[in-house]
Amino acid sequence: MPVPSAAPVPPLDPVGAALAEMATPLLLLDAGGTVTFANVRAASLFAGAASAGPVLAALLMSQGAVKPRALDDALRAGRPARERLAFADGRLVEAALAPLSSGGFALTFDDVTEHVRSAALARLEPLTGLCNRAELHERLGAALTEAERAGAPLAVLLLDLDRFKAVNDTLGHPAGDALLRKVAERLRNAARQEDVIARLGGDEFAILQIGRAGADALRAAEALAARLVELVGRTYVLDGQMLNVGASVGIALYPADGRGADDLMKHADLALYRAKADGRATYRFFEPAMNAAVQARRSLEIDLRRALALKQFSLAFQPQVSLETGTVSGFEALLRWHHPERGPISPATFIPLAEEIGVIVGIGEWALRTACREAASWAQPASIAVNLSPVQFRGGKLVETVTLALAQTGLDPARLELEITEGALLDDTDGVLTVLNGLRGLGVRISMDDFGTGYSSLSYLQKFPFDKIKIDQSFVRGMAGSAECGAIVRAIARLGASLGMRTTAEGVETADQLDAIRAEGCSEVQGYLTGRPMPADQAAALLT
Amino acid sequence: MTDDLRRLVYYSRNRTAGAPEAVDGTIRGILETSRVNNARVGVTGALMFNAGCFAQVLEGPTSAVEATFERIQQDERHGDVALLAYDVVENRLFTDWSMAYVGASQAEVARYGDLADSSGFDIARMTGDRLCAVLHGLALEEEAAAAA
Repeated sequence: MPVPSAAPVPPLDPVGAALAEMATPLLLLDAGGTVTFANVRAASLFAGAASAGPVLAALLMSQGAVKPRALDDALRAGRPARERLAFADGRLVEAALAPLSSGGFALTFDDVTEHVRSAALARLEPLTGLCNRAELHERLGAALTEAERAGAPLAVLLLDLDRFKAVNDTLGHPAGDALLRKVAERLRNAARQEDVIARLGGDEFAILQIGRAGADALRAAEALAARLVELVGRTYVLDGQMLNVGASVGIALYPADGRGADDLMKHADLALYRAKADGRATYRFFEPAMNAAVQARRSLEIDLRRALALKQFSLAFQPQVSLETGTVSGFEALLRWHHPERGPISPATFIPLAEEIGVIVGIGEWALRTACREAASWAQPASIAVNLSPVQFRGGKLVETVTLALAQTGLDPARLELEITEGALLDDTDGVLTVLNGLRGLGVRISMDDFGTGYSSLSYLQKFPFDKIKIDQSFVRGMAGSAECGAIVRAIARLGASLGMRTTAEGVETADQLDAIRAEGCSEVQGYLTGRPMPADQAAALLT
Repeated sequence: MTDDLRRLVYYSRNRTAGAPEAVDGTIRGILETSRVNNARVGVTGALMFNAGCFAQVLEGPTSAVEATFERIQQDERHGDVALLAYDVVENRLFTDWSMAYVGASQAEVARYGDLADSSGFDIARMTGDRLCAVLHGLALEEEAAAAA
């Protein structure tokens, strides 16, 4: 760029002064495109190179801008034009050319670098550089408009990593983040240029597959899903570690599975949920039945959330009979839910749901208090067994809850037996053992429920001195036909005896089973033979 | 992250399909690309193509080995990649060359095929160390043959 030949035209009047000092960069050009005036801002925009003298094209080239075609054309045709210019130093400048009635042109500039950059950043997810959720929705909306116009299909694939939490937990968040970046890279590799890839947060990703014609859309979506599952599932090496995660994918197709963005996203999510339920590391297409299943579950969830307030729960009491004395030594309190329209709902259905949505804590507290109050009213000091959910151990308030229930009802702590399953000990064994010791400190007894069906880890029996082991009913039922079941019952009974723990056989239904149980040396039985679960008043009557 | 010297050993099923000459060409292509790319980042190693699978040893700074391996993982031509070993090592086993292509001719492929039959040589069953040792031996043989 040659040194400017002339100084800026000195302003002689207020209008001239305003033009020279206004905040917008301004150039005045003659009809041939030669700069006749540059104001202060224009001079600074062009780093001092702008002044009267050079032709526009040369001035722009001094900043490394590519030949401005629209401006050139407009200059020749004498009409207005706008054009975005990219300077070599990365600046983006929007130029607006306006012909003047006095001849020549006014050319103003707007530096939009920051604006464009932040708009681009606002669309990107910072960790992986993929689109963010907002951008995905925008692109999905645009793709749907286009798909509708052209009658073209498109596919939404949602991908979720399996076992990602374990990576974060064991190797830390920096490793987790590095892994997410590698996953993003593999997604880019698997998808095509025109597909939209987004990270929705956590370990959730979405891919919008656009522009696959006709019946090919389904096959293309399936091929991509299979490729994603395979590729993302391959081993990673990262910071000197070998890592493995899996991927589950749910797919929804436009227009078959929905015409709107929300429906497609929701249906892809349901399909993803199914893929995970079906054992992970796989993909599933949306099916309408998934919707029905989720609706049913949601409706049950709504009812379950208000069941406690609406007093729809009750307790049934099943006798436990001592094999030494042949008398009722206590009862196990069993939770019942009677819904006014649905009728009785099986605990096997509602308890897992209550655990999942967390309402089991409130329900468990109610059951504990109700059982203690009932037992406190009995004529004899029989024991009362209450089940605890693993979820109740997580809140850190269980000891307090039990203390309160005992205080409120006045029940002798020695009469309360809390039953836990191995499931409670699986996660955070040490934390649960601390709580169990706290409970034991209150004077209550602790039983291991359903023993023999879960992991049946003997280490739990060694880690905590349970008062009682309850042998799962499946072994008791199997005793008649299977020598193995008998052997297992015998082994658990002896194990209990040698560890100083009592043993209760559950599910005793026939006199033969009772004889067999007695022969194996169990301390107590519980089952239909010795008493079905019964309402509170009948249980109380048995003790008078 | 410290850039320790690491050795990575893996094998994978070869997805390159086609006539023997075409397969040979593809493998040569992979080898050539590996030589150029890996030399630049300080990764050395050995590649073995045998009876439908790749076996490869990569040695170099952690970050370079990880980047190279990630590129391999994203390569369509590799299927069922099994990582056999990934350890910090004191020294390289494969130093002054980028990659060795073992099995340059159909005759050699046949030779390894014989090996499989007679000695129960099965890459899928080999440990990382054993595989590494075999590749090292083959690479030395090749070097000696080239020098002769």
